[in-house]
Amino acid sequence: MSGGSSAFRAAVLEHFRRPRNRGAFDAPSGQADGANPLCGDRVRVQLVVEGSVVTDARFTADACAICVAAASVLTDHVRGLSLGEAAAVDATWVFGALEGEPPSARRRCALLPLDTFKRALVAVGASGR
Amino acid sequence: MPTNLIRPDDPALHDEPVVAVATLVGATGSTSKKLGAKMIVGASGRLVGGVTIGGCVDAQVIEAADALVAGGEAKRFLSISLDDDEAWEIGLTCGGTVDVLLQRVRPRDARDPLVAAHRRAAALVDDGEAAVIVTPLDGGDPRTVVEAEAPAPSAGVFLDRVAPPTTLVIVGAGQIAMSLTALARELEMRTIVVDGRERYATRERFPCADDIRVGMPSEVVAEIRHTKRVAVVLVAHDYKYDLPVLRALLRSPVGYIGMLGSKKRGSAVRDMLRDEGYSGDEIARLHSPIGFDLGGRGSAEVALAILSEIVAVQYGKRA
Repeated sequence: MSGGSSAFRAAVLEHFRRPRNRGAFDAPSGQADGANPLCGDRVRVQLVVEGSVVTDARFTADACAICVAAASVLTDHVRGLSLGEAAAVDATWVFGALEGEPPSARRRCALLPLDTFKRALVAVGASGR
Repeated sequence: MPTNLIRPDDPALHDEPVVAVATLVGATGSTSKKLGAKMIVGASGRLVGGVTIGGCVDAQVIEAADALVAGGEAKRFLSISLDDDEAWEIGLTCGGTVDVLLQRVRPRDARDPLVAAHRRAAALVDDGEAAVIVTPLDGGDPRTVVEAEAPAPSAGVFLDRVAPPTTLVIVGAGQIAMSLTALARELEMRTIVVDGRERYATRERFPCADDIRVGMPSEVVAEIRHTKRVAVVLVAHDYKYDLPVLRALLRSPVGYIGMLGSKKRGSAVRDMLRDEGYSGDEIARLHSPIGFDLGGRGSAEVALAILSEIVAVQYGKRA
């Protein structure tokens, strides 16, 4: 990992070495897979939704440190949010949680989990749960 | 498919009504092939395989096989010395003997006892099972059993073990992987190329691969049946794949795990795995730097170094 502030690098390394919520549910309310086709990052986000609240979130990833860290902070954050609040989470929030922005060439690494999370929310809606 | 199995549908046999199958059933000295090595001699003169490394005694085997095919005998046993007088005098002999069993076979006849035994063995191998063809040397028909039911070795009986081919799982669809699939084919390994990138893991780039799988590499590798006959090589040179795949493998029974990279990189990966709770024994299964140091740096040379190490590990030549 090169570039970004020292705070950003520290946050990324911390979440890469000790990722929160890494793993899989047997029966999620919805899930989505995401991939960066050229660099090869692969991530899956799974959500458990009760009523209109995201009660749990997990991810699995074969991905770089920035991508894993973004998935880690994101799945931590969305627990307890309403579906509407969860849908409003954006790139600005992700960069804030990581205490900085990655170099421009690595933005897609940081934003892949967010994009995948949004599609998991759509999958929850499609499943009717 | 193991080379010591006879396939009646082998194109080399389909137009041969009768063949002689020569099987290496015993050996002393240092020059023999593995027991079970076969040479098929057709009535047309066709030769497939061999029972010695250089073919130094094959002429005697072929002569006896031709007679067997022509004469109708069912079986013949040859014990051949490798110490021919001329070679002995100039010091160019390896010494020893080879014992060869010759059997007359009708390859297209499913009722032929040897064909039936090999068909059953082939079916077991196709299902991922090791099998043993039990052949009495002094008469009697061969029979096939799964490996666990094989009798103990004894005089007068040859136990011909046939196992599924080594499966080489290659994670990372780059240049080294391309060379690996080409060389592994010569070693009769089954190859599976794994990558998360669709543009890399393509049939166009990997015409020799038996299987190409695109997905999350750690999940793809976890779905493959893990046995001692599976070797996994991590050649993406990217921690994003290396670490998750290693987590999926270090507690599995696969026979070989290797990772491309320098000693420094390998040490860092081992440290991370240790921090995650993997034991010293589990981490010690990782071969990194991968492959024997042959000195070459080209992709085919690195592939050769990797496959050399895998073969050595399979034969217990390197811990």
